[in-house]
Amino acid sequence: MFTRLLWKLLHASRGRLVVALVALVSGAAVISALLNLQFNIERKLTQEFRTLGANLVISPARDVHSVGSGADSPAVMDQGVVLSEIEKMRTQEVVAAAPYLYIVAQVKTKPVIVAGTWLDEATKLAPTWKIAGGEVASREDGTSCLVGRNVARQLKLAPGEQLELTYLGRTARTTVAGIVDAGGPEDNQVFVNLPVAQELAGMTGQIGLVQLSINGASKTVAAYAQRLATALPGFEVRPIRQVTEAEGELLNRIRLLILSMVLLILILTALCVLATMAALAMERREDVGLMKALGGSITRIVGLFLAEVGVLGAVGGLAGCIAGVALSHWMGQRVFGTAISARWEIFPLTVALMVGAALAGALPLRRLGNVKPAVILRGE
Amino acid sequence: MFARLVRESFVRNPRRKILTAAALVVGMAVATATLTVALDVGDRLAREFRSLGANLLVTPESDTLPLEIGGVDYRPVDEGAYLDETSLGKLKTIFWRHNIVGFTPFLDVPAIVSADGVNLRTTLVGTWYEHAVPVPDGTKFKTGASATHPWWKVQGRWFHDDANECVVGAALAATNPGAFIIGKTITVAKSESAGQPQSLVITGIASTGDAQDRTVLVPLSVAQNLSGHPGKIRQLFVSALTKPADSLSERDPQTLSAKEYDRWFCSPYISSISLQIRQVLPGSDVRAIRRVADTEGRILSRIGILLWIVTLAALAGAGLAVAATAATTVLERRDEIGIMKAIGATNSVVAGIFLAEQVLLALAGGALGFGAGVGLARILGESVFGTPSSLRVVLLPVVLGLAAIIAILGSLIPLRRAAHFQPAPILRGE
Repeated sequence: MFTRLLWKLLHASRGRLVVALVALVSGAAVISALLNLQFNIERKLTQEFRTLGANLVISPARDVHSVGSGADSPAVMDQGVVLSEIEKMRTQEVVAAAPYLYIVAQVKTKPVIVAGTWLDEATKLAPTWKIAGGEVASREDGTSCLVGRNVARQLKLAPGEQLELTYLGRTARTTVAGIVDAGGPEDNQVFVNLPVAQELAGMTGQIGLVQLSINGASKTVAAYAQRLATALPGFEVRPIRQVTEAEGELLNRIRLLILSMVLLILILTALCVLATMAALAMERREDVGLMKALGGSITRIVGLFLAEVGVLGAVGGLAGCIAGVALSHWMGQRVFGTAISARWEIFPLTVALMVGAALAGALPLRRLGNVKPAVILRGE
Repeated sequence: MFARLVRESFVRNPRRKILTAAALVVGMAVATATLTVALDVGDRLAREFRSLGANLLVTPESDTLPLEIGGVDYRPVDEGAYLDETSLGKLKTIFWRHNIVGFTPFLDVPAIVSADGVNLRTTLVGTWYEHAVPVPDGTKFKTGASATHPWWKVQGRWFHDDANECVVGAALAATNPGAFIIGKTITVAKSESAGQPQSLVITGIASTGDAQDRTVLVPLSVAQNLSGHPGKIRQLFVSALTKPADSLSERDPQTLSAKEYDRWFCSPYISSISLQIRQVLPGSDVRAIRRVADTEGRILSRIGILLWIVTLAALAGAGLAVAATAATTVLERRDEIGIMKAIGATNSVVAGIFLAEQVLLALAGGALGFGAGVGLARILGESVFGTPSSLRVVLLPVVLGLAAIIAILGSLIPLRRAAHFQPAPILRGE
C-alpha cells in the first residue's frame, strides 16, 4: 500500500517532479564534479610542480671536509652504495634520480664545467630544458654529450660536431648530440655520461652528489627523505629548500583557494536544492488534507512524503554523480590535459548530501500536522 | 494602473517575495565573491610565486663561461666581463617597473679566509641582503636577497651593507665549529701574498640549501674592494611579476606587426620585461630562468582556467537557485493569473506584470547580494592570501544585469505555461 501510494504520488505529478529532478541532477553534478576535483587537485598540482626539477640532494656528510683542503673542492663519495640503494628505493613517487660528478675540464685551453651524470635521467630531472638536436637516450653511451647554450655559443659548437675535453693530461672525445637551453647555470656546462667524467677525472666509482625529483606533497617528500637517510647513514640527504618550501607554501594557498570556492558552491547548490524541495512540499498541502480527511495518520502521511522526497534525492543524486564524473573528466582534460579519475567516495557523499538537502527541504511538512482538512478542502 | 498592480503585489504578500529575494541575495553573493576572486587570482598567485625567487638572470653579454656549480661562480676575478652596479637603479624606470619585485647582484671572489689561525680557501659571495638602491627619479628602492632568495635562512642576523661584516655558510661553519662563531672576527684576502687582508665580523650562520653554504657571504662592496673591481657585478637576479606565456608571447617579437608589438611590449610577459631590462642595461644578456618561469606560467594558467570553470559552476548554481524560486512564484500564483485573465487581461499584460516584479526583485536582491559578496570575497582573500580582495565596483552592474537576466529567464518558462491557463478551470479550483 505504502509503495503503491508512493508510486502514484511520483507518477501523478510527473511535470513538476521533472523540474525538481532537473534541479537535483544539475546540483548533484556540480557538487560531485567539484568534490572530485578537490580530492584530486593536490596530486595533479604536485605533478605540475615537478617541472621545478630536483627537490632532494644526497651528498657526502659534511664532516668529511678536512680542514685546509678548502671548501672549493667538494668532497666525493663512493657510487656503489648510494646508487644501489637508490635503485632499490625507486618507488612510484621517484620521478627521476641522477648522480653528478662535476669537474673543471679544458676545451682548447678554455676552462668549462663538465657534469658527469646519467643523461637519460638528467633530462627527466629538468623537464624545462629545451634541447636542440637529439637527446642521449642511454646512460651507457660513452661518446655523446649535451652542451649548454652558452658553451655552444662560445665554442661555436653545433649538434654533430666533435668536442675534445681534457683534464690533467687525460682526454675524452665526444660528439655533441644536442644543445641545452636551460635558462640557468646549466647553460654554461657540458653534460656527459658518468663513466666518461669519472675516467677523465681519474675518479672511477666516485660521484659528487645525487639529485632526486620526488613527486608528492611535502609530507611525502619528507618521509621519503627520512627513509633515504636511514638507508644511507654517513650521507647527507637534504631537501632543496628553494623548491620544497615555495612548493609547499604555494600548494597550501591554491588548495585553500579551491577548497573555499568549492565550499561556497556546495552551500549554494545545497540551498538551491533545499528551496526546490520546499516548494514541492508546500504544493502537497491539498493532498495532505485529503488524506487526513480519509483517515490517514499524520506520521504516515508525512512518512509518505518524506519517502517521496528521499527517493527523488537519491535518484537525482545518483544521476547527478554520473554527470558529475563526466564533467570532472572534461575539467581535467581542459585544465591539466589529463583526465581526472573518479574517486568512489564522491558517490555516497553526493547522494547523502542530496538526500539530506532534499529531506531538509521537506521539513516544513511537519507543520502539516496542524492542517485542518476541512479548511484545505474548502480551498482556503 | 500597471505600476499600482506591481506595487500592490509587493505590499500584499511580502513574505512570498522574501523567499525569491533571499535566493537572489545568496546566489548573487556567491557569484560576486567568486568573480572577484577569479579576477584577482592571477595577480595574487603571481606574487605568491615570487617565493620561488628570481625568474630572470642578467649577465654581461661578452662574458667568458662562468665556472658555476650550484650557484657559486669559481672563476678568478680577472676573467670575464662585468656589469655596472650604478645602473641597476634604472631597472625601476622601465615600463613594467612596478612588476619588478626585487633584484640582487652577485660578485663571487675566490679568497683565503683566516679564522683562528687556520687558512681556508673558499669563495666570498658578495651580495645585498637589504639594500636601498637609488632610483633615477630620486627615490630609493629597498631590495636584495631577502626578495630574490626568500628561502635563505640565517641564525643570528644578516650583515649590514655598509659594515665590515659577513655571514658564514652553514657547511663551511661546520668544518671548523670553533672558529666560525657569531661575534668572532675573521680576515679575508684575495690570495696569500697579494692585497691587504680585510677583517670581517661574523653576524650570522646562513643556510641556503645550495653551494653558498660552503662560502662566506659578504656585502657587495666588500667583495668589490677585495677583488679590485669597485662598482662591478657579475650576475643580477631579478624577480618580476609576469603574465603566463600565451600564443602572442611565444612568437618572435621581430615577426610581430606594429600593433601586436605594442600589445606584446605593454603586457608583462617575461620576454617583454627581458627586453626592457636589456634596453636599460646595455651590454647585458637577460635570460628567463626557465625552471622557475615555466613552472610558474604553467601553474598560473591552469589555476586561471580552473577558477573560471569553478566560477561558471558558481554562476550556474546561482542561476539555478534564482530560476527555481522564480518558477515557483509563478506557479503559486495561478489563481491570481486566472482572475486577471478572466477580467480581461491579455497574456502580455500578465507577463509584463510578473516580469516587472521579477526585475525589481532581482535589482534589490542583486544589490544586497553584491554587498554580501564583497564581504565574502574580503574574507576569502584574507584567509587564503592574507590580504583582503580589493573592491571592484565594475562588478556591480554585471551582477545586477546577471540577476535580472536569470530572474527573467527563470520566469519565462512558467509564464509560457501560464499563457495556456484557461481561466475557468482555475477559478473552479481544478
